[in-house]
Amino acid sequence: MAVTKEFLKEEREQAWRVDIRKLLKNKERTALTRVHMGEVDANERILSNIEVNTGLSEEEAVNEAKRCLDCPDPTCITGCPVEINIPKFIKRIEQGDYLKAAQVLKQTSALPAVCGRVCPQEKQCEAKCFYQLKMKKEPVAIGHLERFAADYERESGQISVPEVAKGNGVKIAVIGSGPAGLTFAGDMAKQGYDVTVFEALHEIGGVLKYGIPEFRLPNSIVDVEINSLTKMGVKFENNFIVGRTATIEDLKEEGFEAFFTGSGAGLPRFMNIPGENYIGILSSNEYLTRVNLMDAANPKTDTPVISGKNVAVIGGGNTAMDSVRTAKRLGAKRAMIVYRRSMEEMPARVEEVKHAQEEGIEFLNLTNPVEYFADENGRVNKMRVQKMELGEPDASGRRRPVVIEGSEYDIEVDTVVVSVGVSPNPLIPSSLPQLETTRWGTIVVDEEKLQTSIPEMFAGGDIVRGGATVILAMGDGRNAAAAMHNYLQDKLNA
Amino acid sequence: MKDLKTTYLGLSIKNPIVVGSSGLASTIGGIKKLANAGAAAIVLKSVFEEEIKAEAEQTVGQQLGMDENNLEFYDYYDYQVKNEVLENYVSLIREAKEAVDIPIIASINCSSYSEWVSFANKIEDAGADAIELNIFKLPFGINDEASEIEKVYFDIVRKVKERLSIPVGIKLAPYFTNLGNVINRLSHSGVSGLILFNRFTSVDYDIENDQVITGKVYSGADDYANTLRWVSISSNLAGCDIVASGGIHDYRTLVKMLLAGAASAEVVSAIYKEGPEVIGAMLKELEAWMERRNVNSINEFKGRLCQGKATNPEVFERVQFMRYFSGHKH
Repeated sequence: MAVTKEFLKEEREQAWRVDIRKLLKNKERTALTRVHMGEVDANERILSNIEVNTGLSEEEAVNEAKRCLDCPDPTCITGCPVEINIPKFIKRIEQGDYLKAAQVLKQTSALPAVCGRVCPQEKQCEAKCFYQLKMKKEPVAIGHLERFAADYERESGQISVPEVAKGNGVKIAVIGSGPAGLTFAGDMAKQGYDVTVFEALHEIGGVLKYGIPEFRLPNSIVDVEINSLTKMGVKFENNFIVGRTATIEDLKEEGFEAFFTGSGAGLPRFMNIPGENYIGILSSNEYLTRVNLMDAANPKTDTPVISGKNVAVIGGGNTAMDSVRTAKRLGAKRAMIVYRRSMEEMPARVEEVKHAQEEGIEFLNLTNPVEYFADENGRVNKMRVQKMELGEPDASGRRRPVVIEGSEYDIEVDTVVVSVGVSPNPLIPSSLPQLETTRWGTIVVDEEKLQTSIPEMFAGGDIVRGGATVILAMGDGRNAAAAMHNYLQDKLNA
Repeated sequence: MKDLKTTYLGLSIKNPIVVGSSGLASTIGGIKKLANAGAAAIVLKSVFEEEIKAEAEQTVGQQLGMDENNLEFYDYYDYQVKNEVLENYVSLIREAKEAVDIPIIASINCSSYSEWVSFANKIEDAGADAIELNIFKLPFGINDEASEIEKVYFDIVRKVKERLSIPVGIKLAPYFTNLGNVINRLSHSGVSGLILFNRFTSVDYDIENDQVITGKVYSGADDYANTLRWVSISSNLAGCDIVASGGIHDYRTLVKMLLAGAASAEVVSAIYKEGPEVIGAMLKELEAWMERRNVNSINEFKGRLCQGKATNPEVFERVQFMRYFSGHKH
């Protein structure tokens, strides 16, 4: 699906792009400073689930768009897993045609408003920006601009629905409604397939809804994208567990001819240290799903989570940050990150760490739990941790944590959220013994086509990658849709 | 019929040959073969902390995606590998206990203990008769004091004893500033046995290809001298079983170790070289020796030639060849 250089060159030579470039000299563009997106004050935002980042104004967006040099060799695109035509959409913003900018995004990205919020642009497109690579200056704020264009379109009420080919009557099942499944569904619907998305939970959106809190990605944003798919003819079945509610064989009998599995990585991992089964110790998956989707922050619900006063979150990824910031919003007096390496090695996005620090989250770095203790009712009340130091770099290039023997001490806790990663959802692989999987539970696919060992089944996202980003899952959805289309056409013509 | 009964880490065993920790005891099939060959107890293949780390790192190295976008997934992956390895190990202990009727000893090879606490309990729950801790840190740190390195051993023993009720043995390296002192103090620290000594992989050079290679893997029949010296020196004063390990390839060396005061002996290389049947052969010859020397039980001669009882104890402490060999001519 690689975008060719010739295509990009042709696009860049269109008259309107040439005109825009002429408006300012490159020196003038590079003299501009990067925009900084506004944020709700930390003291205010921890009292509710209000979105932290406030977005760009039109003026801010246009000024930022002016910084983009519209390079002849747009390296930024190579950093984007779905190869958004980045200079083109940015120049549309500079031109003031925000709706067209959004259309450019939608040509390759099914969820631009989502990606504008949760993509780690600093490691992807922005890391490949000319400013960053050649000038050692702050890159163009591509993520902020993406969010701006998508939000503008949504708020304008003029949401474009991609064109859909005439229905071909071929029924396709999508298992999982996360970013991979939604992207796949959209692309297949565009080509005229009869697509049904099966979702195990009661809400559509997968990890976008259950995993990412409202203050980072409001559910209403995801719903808008889902509505677009509905308008394109995609059907959704909630509370439907493929492999339990119905098997793949059952679905085949109902006429489904091909399947895309995007069932994600929803199986929590634990450390298996003593006391980890005490009441009050839960996985980040459970914690976030209950708060985000089941209103568990409300004490009057059937299954509320306890609003701990001393909450420790184990881990240093984005999920850990989401969990600890959620705990703060639920009223924790002491919301702590307990991470065995230092700040520098954390997998979480720099922005998430910064926001957490602003919100008063304590960071107990170079610290690792070794045991939990409970009161007479089996409820966790204490955590034993030990101090770590950094040793030589490991395979990830980061310095490895090394135990400082004899450094144990206890911390009072009443809630512990274990956020040390997740494993692929085992439901589909376990219900299909002939489906080839890796030793860590991911589905084996052909790298190009994303086709599994069962020819009519394709797969993508975390169930294949183990754990990755929203945009990579979306890239998989796109590639799988193109490959499945070819597969079905070949089958039809055989 | 001679009485070959003796002890290993305080456990009563039917004869003095214990199969030391090795790949020989990594499967139920292997364990059964060793038991059928006459082994008195089997130390299972060691769970290596370093191996777990290496496997986790290899996976992370191979799987880490573009721009480390899946770093969060692999950040604690070592725990996954560890849990998988440990679950398999616990299963092996359970199955071994069902398959054979001799003591099964678990073995952990670690450079620290704190992260192994929960596992020690699982080993006990799975039915292991004892646990052998193989603790060693190559003292690379030029600023590390010898006393600090020794302290790690005592801390580990204290923590293990707090947790476990099954016997605990420590397999020692011979590299201590004052080995005799460390052996003596550890033997009175609550452990049930000290195994002298651990065998490490060695480094060698391939001088034709300028390559650093792994040295000799197995011990040889002449490699027992250091073990014999220290078993002899320590057994009389030790507060626990002293177990010999290293270079025990035939009944003669086995007898020497017992005479030096070893309660029992761990054998590995000889079994690798000659097969499990070497155990039966050594036991048969041990009995024949006992017959020749007119002793009926191990206890009758165990420790007869330890330093404390020897008529010429100064030999054990002699380290230089002095005049004895100064006039030696080839």
